[in-house]
Amino acid sequence: MSAFLRACGRTLDAERLKLRRTLALRMSIVTPAVVVALCVLQLGFGKTHPGSDDPQAAWRAFAGASFALWAFLMMPLFVTLEAALLAGIEHADRQWKHLLALPLPRAAHYLAKWAALLALLLGASLAFVVLIAFGGWVLAHAQPQSGLAGWPPWTWLLRRCLGMVAAGLLMAAIQLWVSIRWSSFTVAVAAGMGATVAGFMIGQSRFGHWYPWSLPVQLFARHGHPTFALAASALGATLVLALSTWDFARRDLE
Amino acid sequence: MNASLAIETRGLARRFPGGHGVHGLDLAVPAGAVYGFLGPNGAGKTTTIRLLLSLLRPDAGTIAVFGRPLDRGNRAALAGIGALVESPSLYGHLTGRENLEVTRRLVGAPRPRVDAVLRLVELAGDADRLVRTYSLGMRQRLALALALLGEPRLLVLDEPTNGLDPAGIQDFRALLRRLTAEQGVTVFLSSHLLPEVEQVATHLGVLDAGRLLFQGTLAELRRRAPARLHVDCDDPARAAATLRAAGEQVLADGDGGLSVAVAQRRAAELNRLLVESGVGVSRLASDDASLESLFLALTRREETRA
Repeated sequence: MSAFLRACGRTLDAERLKLRRTLALRMSIVTPAVVVALCVLQLGFGKTHPGSDDPQAAWRAFAGASFALWAFLMMPLFVTLEAALLAGIEHADRQWKHLLALPLPRAAHYLAKWAALLALLLGASLAFVVLIAFGGWVLAHAQPQSGLAGWPPWTWLLRRCLGMVAAGLLMAAIQLWVSIRWSSFTVAVAAGMGATVAGFMIGQSRFGHWYPWSLPVQLFARHGHPTFALAASALGATLVLALSTWDFARRDLE
Repeated sequence: MNASLAIETRGLARRFPGGHGVHGLDLAVPAGAVYGFLGPNGAGKTTTIRLLLSLLRPDAGTIAVFGRPLDRGNRAALAGIGALVESPSLYGHLTGRENLEVTRRLVGAPRPRVDAVLRLVELAGDADRLVRTYSLGMRQRLALALALLGEPRLLVLDEPTNGLDPAGIQDFRALLRRLTAEQGVTVFLSSHLLPEVEQVATHLGVLDAGRLLFQGTLAELRRRAPARLHVDCDDPARAAATLRAAGEQVLADGDGGLSVAVAQRRAAELNRLLVESGVGVSRLASDDASLESLFLALTRREETRA
């Protein structure tokens, strides 16, 4: 077991270096920045704004709108893109034949990709929180009638942020498997985009709380099932990760 | 399993839909040898290499590397192998040094190995350039450096001179000789460039349609096709009759000369025989079969049998 953990440490260390100068790394800042910028522009130039007398309520309204856009659309697309880019690093020059001929357990390579995807998702989500705070500060000065003032509700923001990451685990595990299993970038992106678009309809149906791409939205939905969403995501991700790692470890490289 | 063999396979088989693949391979690559693995396109060379590197699972048979069994559940034997399979696999967005660093972290090699292998393949001056700006030859050399990073006892190289210019091929050949002579590295070299293999290989394996047709030293392969003596003379018809009467196998070579198998008499004896019968001999030359002609004879013979 300790040899396997050591191997995982090595593959993780190598994965960190491979991310240098990649679009995957840049996207973890760009994507949340786009969402926050859109929300700031919407409130800054829109005719309606939270307009609450309670600054904390105004912060939550602003952050809630940003989180909704993130959870509903951008986070699924971000996971799709990041998984495809991470897998693409190895598919591009047929790197797998080099990596899998090294004396390391195959599963260690797969788990390193999973850890990299989680790190990027977590990093983007934390950047999202910081950018929400910055966007709110800009609005507070540019649009004082927005009601935003003082410090943002950091604990509330962080809890929501981490909750969304947890609710997105199942979606991320499925997307990583698709991206690594099929070497085509187009297949991986098409699968993720299709699943995201399908989520617009399925998410509002009675099956919404079962659909992996809709689970993060369940944390905010008025009639959502946040506890179920978190449990389903965690358990589902564990199962999908176990099966996909097994599949990766036994597959032939032709 | 024999530990004096760098690679030993027994009954190794992998069949693909349509019947392609390799069938019952019994490879025996001696430690310290440069083993040329030859075969026409589609013979199963790359499949064999993928099996040897545990990239494919065999349908049947066993693999041992320096006496240690190798399979999916037992990959420790890969620690002694450095490999270059088909085209180089490199990260274009990283520098040459960073590419080596990725593999160094994976195999746990000491840091100074990166500079050592860069010097060995003469890429130290370009180590900090992004690999996407490298020429094909530089990429090939970097891939070789990656294979050498873990100080392997066995190098498995699949068409390693692809993309190298003539000077690069010469340098590569010299590097292989140095690695085998100074460090005792065993090289398993697959190539379709037969003259290339002929110049570096000590042992050969000839594969066709997934079956091993020959395995042994170069000298053993040559013994399969006896040397011929080429005779230029003033009267080929009389010379042929004289030699045939003496029990020799004689062929017209198409240029007005004769070609004689030298299995029975040596060149001096044949010359005396011809001169004594009044034939004026202007040239006697031994005609060693090239590896290419032996290889073609071997594979065509199999085709004819099939």
